[in-house]
Amino acid sequence: MLQDNLLTILILLPTVGALALIGHGLFWKRENDYRWIALLFSVITFALSLLLLTRVGENSDAAFRFEQKTLWIGAIGSYYHLGVDGMSLWLVILTTLLVPVSILSSWNSIKKRALSFYVFMLILESAMIGVFVSLDLLIFYLFFEASLVPMFFMIGIWGGERRIYAATKFFIYTAVGSLLMLVGIIALYYIHQQQAGAGTFDYLTLLDALKSGRVVITESSAFWIFLAFAFAFCIKVPLWPLHTWLPDAHTEAPTAGSVILAGVLLKMGTYGLLRFNLGLMPEMARRFAPYFVVLAIIGIIYGALVAMVQPDVKRLVAYSSVSHMGFVVLGIFSFTEQGMQGALYQMLNHGVSTGALFLLVGMIYDRRHTRQISDFGGLATPMPWFSTFFVIASLSSIGLPFLNGFVGEFLILLGTWLSTGFSYNWVATMIAATGVIWAAVYMLWMLQRVVFGRIRHGENARLSDLNAREVGLLIPLLILMLVMGVYPRPFLSRSRESVVAVQQRVTKSTGAAGSFSVEVQENKQR
Amino acid sequence: MLTMLRYIIFAPLAGAAINWLLGRRARSELFVGLVACGAVAVSTVVAFYAAFMHGGALHLGEAGNSTAPVFDHLWTWIQVGNFRADFGLAMDRLSGIYTLFITFVGLLIHIFATGYMHGDRGFYRFFAYLNLFMFSMLTLVLADNFLLMFVGWEGVGLCSYLLIGYYTDRREAGDAAKKAFVMNRIGDWGVVIGVMLIFFLTGSISFFDKTVGGAEVYSALARIAAMAPEAFTAQSIIAGGITSAAVLLFIGATGKSAQIPLYVWLPDAMAGPTPVSALIHAATMVTAGVYMVVRCSAIYTHAPTAMFIIAIIGAATAIFAATIGIAQNDIKKVLAYSTVSQLGYMFLACGVGAFVAAIFHVMTHAFFKALLFLGSGSVIHGMHHEQDMRRMGGLKKYMPITFFTMFAGWLAISGIPIWAGFFSKDEILWRTWSAEAGWSQSLHSFPKVLWVIGAVTALLTAVYMTRLMVMTFWGGERFREVNAGGQADEAHAAAYDEHEAPHDAQTASPGDRPHHAPGEHVDDHAHDAHVDDEHADAHAHHSGPFTPHESPWTMTVPLIVLAVLSTVGGLVGIPYALSSLFNAHTPNYFEQTLEPAVAHPVEKGEGARAAEGAGAGANDVRWLSPPPPKTDGAAPLSVGEGSQGESAAERAHSPEEINAERLFTGISVLIAALGIGIGWFLYRRKPLLRAPRLLEEKYYVDEIYDAAIINPIKTGSREGLWKIFDIGVIDGIVNGMGRGITEIGSVVRYLQVGFVRWYAALILLGAVAVIGYFAFMLTQYAAR
Repeated sequence: MLQDNLLTILILLPTVGALALIGHGLFWKRENDYRWIALLFSVITFALSLLLLTRVGENSDAAFRFEQKTLWIGAIGSYYHLGVDGMSLWLVILTTLLVPVSILSSWNSIKKRALSFYVFMLILESAMIGVFVSLDLLIFYLFFEASLVPMFFMIGIWGGERRIYAATKFFIYTAVGSLLMLVGIIALYYIHQQQAGAGTFDYLTLLDALKSGRVVITESSAFWIFLAFAFAFCIKVPLWPLHTWLPDAHTEAPTAGSVILAGVLLKMGTYGLLRFNLGLMPEMARRFAPYFVVLAIIGIIYGALVAMVQPDVKRLVAYSSVSHMGFVVLGIFSFTEQGMQGALYQMLNHGVSTGALFLLVGMIYDRRHTRQISDFGGLATPMPWFSTFFVIASLSSIGLPFLNGFVGEFLILLGTWLSTGFSYNWVATMIAATGVIWAAVYMLWMLQRVVFGRIRHGENARLSDLNAREVGLLIPLLILMLVMGVYPRPFLSRSRESVVAVQQRVTKSTGAAGSFSVEVQENKQR
Repeated sequence: MLTMLRYIIFAPLAGAAINWLLGRRARSELFVGLVACGAVAVSTVVAFYAAFMHGGALHLGEAGNSTAPVFDHLWTWIQVGNFRADFGLAMDRLSGIYTLFITFVGLLIHIFATGYMHGDRGFYRFFAYLNLFMFSMLTLVLADNFLLMFVGWEGVGLCSYLLIGYYTDRREAGDAAKKAFVMNRIGDWGVVIGVMLIFFLTGSISFFDKTVGGAEVYSALARIAAMAPEAFTAQSIIAGGITSAAVLLFIGATGKSAQIPLYVWLPDAMAGPTPVSALIHAATMVTAGVYMVVRCSAIYTHAPTAMFIIAIIGAATAIFAATIGIAQNDIKKVLAYSTVSQLGYMFLACGVGAFVAAIFHVMTHAFFKALLFLGSGSVIHGMHHEQDMRRMGGLKKYMPITFFTMFAGWLAISGIPIWAGFFSKDEILWRTWSAEAGWSQSLHSFPKVLWVIGAVTALLTAVYMTRLMVMTFWGGERFREVNAGGQADEAHAAAYDEHEAPHDAQTASPGDRPHHAPGEHVDDHAHDAHVDDEHADAHAHHSGPFTPHESPWTMTVPLIVLAVLSTVGGLVGIPYALSSLFNAHTPNYFEQTLEPAVAHPVEKGEGARAAEGAGAGANDVRWLSPPPPKTDGAAPLSVGEGSQGESAAERAHSPEEINAERLFTGISVLIAALGIGIGWFLYRRKPLLRAPRLLEEKYYVDEIYDAAIINPIKTGSREGLWKIFDIGVIDGIVNGMGRGITEIGSVVRYLQVGFVRWYAALILLGAVAVIGYFAFMLTQYAAR
């Protein structure tokens, strides 16, 4: 029973928690209880999410597990259809892990309207889990949009000085993107209705129809539908040049918001690209691959260069996200097993490492109420634990071997090198790989100015080191960095078949745009 | 036996972990020192056992003379598609030799450091890093594939970063640490791309053929060895073939082993404590580049263009750094440039195809340069943390052990016969003259040019080392005349603890880079006036005449051991041409051991020469492994299996060549003697003789890099990309559109007027409705 309805339970539990919080707030109004209730529900959700591992084992095939399918709106053929495969498995677990961590990080820093904050956080969790397990396009869209609203309020209410600007920018950017996606979804529904009799929003039904050729999307429709989806997802990623909402949103958001934004919300974009753009319109994906690769590489270098000169440490981490997510997009559009596995792995890595970095930045912000790099310096002396964690998280972000970042980045670069989807792939690899140098430059320079050196401001000498709660919430991430760097097998072997299925679909499909495969063959010569 | 190698790497890792976690609380230098030295001692013992046991890589007995490596597979690290990287260790003859000197010299330096770092507030941290370094370095050399080697490669870079920046409150240390890491990263870029290219070409990244859990893993190097060698053309560099891979890997080597153009980090790295300079920046880490090139000798012999580049870069770096070395006044800086220069020699050897000579020089250099650095550390310690040689002089009276041990190092690096450096350097020079690399067939006279550069470098080496010795140990006791005693290393930390202003941080010159070494200004009175006043307090306790003292036994014992090694360590590799002089006919053990582990340049007429050599002196050769089958023309070039390639001993033993080699040995000795003579007469009389300003300022290379590369990128990124493009162009467009489409305020108003809770409730209500519907549907579904 538990196992059969696991996904529904995972989605519902945080919302139930939110209801419980409101109930508690209405009747008892004990401010201190809110965070405990939120933590309790999110921890239970995390524990339950680990049950997913029982059915998505190592080397499991590409099929969806824990599938649930119930007709939702019969009139339009929308199903409440959930399922996880190797691709979504770890993203769900990453989500359920980061939420309790974020709640713990907000423990003392969220004083204003604590009830609303935790309610939003739990609703957000439901929506995020929903995004990764939806197998119906309409449900996916609902969850995708639903995640936007709580985040909008989290930035807008609990954010920094320019929170209104940042929240609005975030909202408009992403809302515009997802509206286009809605158009794309409806178009797919319409096409299916025309060719197969009945319209459907069901991902697997659509996929099946497209695979078997029962439904064929004409080239021109595929072009626009692909772009509509891609636009929504690329804003979310964000892919250069659609990234300017991110530095503002990440910087102004409260620590928990930044962690969730960087850790989970960005991955919705890359997940969507993998699942829908590549899965449903593989020919178009091939056709557009060179453009995505170019934009991704620009993003890698650009994000790193701009990160380098940021005077604000949180903004620096934010721009580093642009660079790291560029790697993910590059891996996805390499259409090789190495590159796509690396991309998926890098999504998790980025969630862990950047999440940890935002947490750490939040911890010094709580103490000093500034994020300016120039206000720090010499923190190693008063805060040795903080400094140790900060250095390790930075090294993980830099991509030091035996920490998580390296595995993902290396696989992505290797995949790009081996790619046959576009020409001059080796040039692309060589340029993208310089991103690793830049990462060292901006991260180490930041470390030098924040952690090392001499104490230049008297306040810094009296800062207290991390307390038990802070150490406790960082330790899981730290362990993950090490484990994922040294022994990636449990992760990679679970996602292999699902990723290969998508990869095969892209490289082998000869749908409406069969001519593209010739192009691919030509490029193979290199 | 099968799982033995892992203890070599994990013992130091365990030591690092214990010291990191418990060391601070233990508050006992004895505990920390014992853990750290004990961990390395375990590595050393296991390494020696693994190498010399029956069937071990260096076991040269009659029975177990296999050249197959000893494997230790831990787990498969990354496996995606057909790409596979194991966490697997392997010790063959090459990695065996490396492991031995790394563990042994490392152990000595650890012991030395317990004395040198005594009293430092970060004692535990220092040894944790040092142990972590040993783990990384041993992983680097014992890795059985490119990617795991890269783990060690980056790991040593990290430890180097941490240890250079060990005195975190010194700005120059932080700058130097960052510079080292970034320069290394630039090189690492080449390694990563090179590894990918090798995988692309061969489908494997393993060094050896092996079977893991039933799966066959084949050697990438053997695959490349089986390919046709590439031509000696410039186009081959960018052709994406073997030459490209070789050049990319060499880019990594220029970073790690401090060659032009990426050498600038190494002199700055002297900001780290002296034992670190000895271990990382002289004996072990910086020779990793040489290790990689020799490990990939199969690739390089197939890429004559890459060999040519290596030879040129090596020779250029050797002479370039040597000229700078002459002009430095900081004792450690002299040794740092000397290291850069000697590394150049090693690459010169690789470039002309003398891979064994390169490794030989790596080993002897590890002995004598570690000795010289530790000796300098002892001097700095005895001189109350003064590094400036202009304020030393006459120390041999006060520090006799340090003097005599450094004396051995001096003779060794200068190239005086029987001391270790002589044999290896002579070997390199001779092999340069008689270069047998693929490219030398097209450019017959070029090896001669390289030889001249090498010879001049040898002369300069003898000169600057003599200068160092003279300025330090002979002459007047200049420390009595000026305020000697500086702020190097731990004195600085002590000053920090006493809340005294650390000296350097406040005097850092504009432009982020300190232009004077610690204490340098004291001699220069014009400069002195405005700087030293404010720091008079800071080192008041150092000022005034004092008597230098000899160091404690923990420091002198390692010095003595290294002095012995620097004296006799070269005897394992006496070339045939010399041993036959004395009718000893001792085989060149080193060469014969290592020869099977490296590939040989493919040459025209190799078969003929082999036949010729067989007549000349083959009966003198005692084969340590079964004689390889004679082949005509190009020898099969498999690596690791060791059944290929004639021993150089056999090849080189034609009478004319032996005579020529002897002649060149004579020339080498003359050069060394001449250099020492010049140095002695020049600096014995005028120890403070100044070199041209261009040399003192290191050819302004740092300034040029700053102006030409670093500053434009910083400014361009800040002003161009961020402020103009990001904020101006993209945001401008977006915000403009935003304003056009909607009145931003209307969306936002809800946030400000307390509607939030209502809105939250509304969302929740919606969610509940949807969920209720689902729940209803589910019950329907269940009922059905």
